[in-house]
Amino acid sequence: MHEGQESKNTCKMMTGEVERKMERKRLNAQPLALIRKIKGFTRSIVEGLARGSAPLIYIDRFRNYCTDTSGNCSGLPAGKEAISLKRECHARRLDVLLRVLLIVQQLLQEKRHGSKRDIYYMHPTVFKEQSVVDRAINDICILLQCSRHNLNVVSVGNGLVMGWLRYVESGRKIDCISNPNTAYPIPVHVEEVNDILSVAQYVLVVEKESVFQRLANDQFCKRNHCIVITGRGYPDVPTRRFLRLLIDKLHLPVYCLVDCDPYGFDILTTYKFGSLQMAYDATFLQVSEIQWLGVFVQDSDNYSIPQQCLLPLTVEDKRKVEAMLHRCYLQREVPKWRFELELLLYKGVKFEIEALSVHSLTFLSHEYLPSKINNGGCLQLLGWWITSRQYHIRVEAEH
Amino acid sequence: MGELSRSTIFFSDQHLCYADILSPSQVRARIEVAVLNFLKALSSNSPSISDLSLISRNSSNSRVSRGLLTGDSWIFLSHSFCTRSLTKENSAKSFIRVWKVMEICYQVLVQEKRVTQRELYYKLLCDSPDYFTSQLQVNRTIQDLVALLRCSRYSLGIMASSRGAIAGRLLLQEPDKEVVDCSTCGSSGYAISGDLELLGKLTMGTDARYIIMVEKHAVFQRLAEDRVFNQIPCILITAKGFPDIATRFLLHRMCKMFPNLLVLGLVDWNPAGLAILCTFKFGSIGMGLEAYRYACNIKWLGLRKDDINQLIPKECLVPLKPRDLQIAKSLMSSEILQDSYKEEVAAMVQSGRRAEIEALYCHGYDYLVKFLATKIVQANYL
Repeated sequence: MHEGQESKNTCKMMTGEVERKMERKRLNAQPLALIRKIKGFTRSIVEGLARGSAPLIYIDRFRNYCTDTSGNCSGLPAGKEAISLKRECHARRLDVLLRVLLIVQQLLQEKRHGSKRDIYYMHPTVFKEQSVVDRAINDICILLQCSRHNLNVVSVGNGLVMGWLRYVESGRKIDCISNPNTAYPIPVHVEEVNDILSVAQYVLVVEKESVFQRLANDQFCKRNHCIVITGRGYPDVPTRRFLRLLIDKLHLPVYCLVDCDPYGFDILTTYKFGSLQMAYDATFLQVSEIQWLGVFVQDSDNYSIPQQCLLPLTVEDKRKVEAMLHRCYLQREVPKWRFELELLLYKGVKFEIEALSVHSLTFLSHEYLPSKINNGGCLQLLGWWITSRQYHIRVEAEH
Repeated sequence: MGELSRSTIFFSDQHLCYADILSPSQVRARIEVAVLNFLKALSSNSPSISDLSLISRNSSNSRVSRGLLTGDSWIFLSHSFCTRSLTKENSAKSFIRVWKVMEICYQVLVQEKRVTQRELYYKLLCDSPDYFTSQLQVNRTIQDLVALLRCSRYSLGIMASSRGAIAGRLLLQEPDKEVVDCSTCGSSGYAISGDLELLGKLTMGTDARYIIMVEKHAVFQRLAEDRVFNQIPCILITAKGFPDIATRFLLHRMCKMFPNLLVLGLVDWNPAGLAILCTFKFGSIGMGLEAYRYACNIKWLGLRKDDINQLIPKECLVPLKPRDLQIAKSLMSSEILQDSYKEEVAAMVQSGRRAEIEALYCHGYDYLVKFLATKIVQANYL
């Protein structure tokens, strides 16, 4: 309880700071400001060429984690990459970057949106591959210090939301409250969402659409005043931006429910720390306030999940877990989560959220979730301590 | 049944078998009848274990119905049965599986709830571990049960998700709710619910002249954002990939309600895209008893081989994958596919290449709308 209160206060402080940062970034990322920056950037290259010097561009390298487990790394850009015309691969990269920049400028000037695929098809002979375009767009975002949607580059939206929420999107009122058990698509243009109104007490993020459907069928949002969101797997950018926006405006606790397997954990960390792909934009995409509600390895014992539902970890699963254990932010920021991951590897079994519905379909909505949320969510301190003692004793015994 | 006899004159589809959309109490009644019949056979003077007769879902039991005065044609399953028998060694387990799934579905319906296929799998895994080993087996058994009781999967209490979306000049109203104008739904459109009963109760109104089915979500989003329905009076519909039952059901309903609307399909130029178009057009037998019911007369607008030759530069073409070739083969061997379609498939295989709709953007952003408009005006569709 006490820990929850503390983290709530830190959350409020952090969100205030992030809000100010976002406001500054929003002003710097307006279309006119970006067009000016693009022109300035191009002018500097042309002037350099006129002087006879080859263009040299520095692009910050962003990573939101490294494998340095000593804990000395910080979250800031890890050095710069220098791109010049001296190396052929760099020359190509520069060529691609300038072409994509031209297209982006057109999009901004004509107030149109395009997807990464659309941009690829503009010059397929030059680009040759989609990944080349993706990297150029990332480079441009870093150079212009903006987010991808500021460049008017959009993707399709895949997320769903339901519950006690009402908002306005591009002048249209979306009233999720009128149908609290119906899924609404998460808007793609999150910057056009405002007038968010909610009487929810918390936000619940679930990994899979099937769990979302289970909650809808159990009328979860009727009994509990909350907002439920799913990214249908790994969350896409609009889902993460929308969640970030909800937390910034509503300052509600966020809980995350994922499968007890490596992919569930990876999805959880994507929500909390951001993905490696979008590391440059992590501050605006990550929801560091998110708490891990479940499902944990101990839940299989605590809730008597039958043996048949526990599947063994495959070789790839184990490899993935071992790779994730090296991520520096785990030890630094969420050692309890790291311990859970180690426990997963140690026990060698995984199971899905649906395993909880085996004894009773309504178990998840009527008992598991309310009890976890009312007990301050996330890992209960005492249970963790006891299990950790058992784990260390077992490990010692083995050696 | 009444709707059916209106659509064909010579009653040639008297043998048509289809899955009904029923209320939970009706499905429970059918299950109870099945159990009572089984018990009756067991406790009769000459006791026997009755076999389960399921409508067989393979190509030998499928027939093609070609409308004589209408352009509609569809495949359907006839009254040929396959049996699951306890006495035969190779189908004994399948026999038991059907009863096990029936039991759980009954329990779910009594609780007035729904269950996802994954939850069903875990329940069966725990209750009867000897009979169920994989999700695929569970899915197949569910199709068996649909074929046995002749009711839709959704009626059995199994949750269905729908990925479909609709946008454009259409007004929808759910019973006792407000009217939704699909032209103001933004770039994501109106999400099509998985509840077929609800979709059946929607009231619809439109002033469009065309319905354009779009294969991919990205293209749908682009067209909805560009408000193509303000330039071409149309309704956009997408299943975001392979069509699910709900999207097909809604499209079918719209075709029946607005028979003057022309339905056009915009798919990628590859066998998979054509397969999606054909699923809307004819239905599919592989997907079980209910999947062929909602066919509609959709015409192939693009992309076609003339478009590829005239409009798409060579750099935008990508090689076909082995899966594409498999699909092409099954399309060529299908008896219902018209010759003009088969020619297109042959051209795809011969060139060994495929192209996406987005390749048209090499001509500029507004090119896609111009492309659609030109084709519609020239009546350039198959």
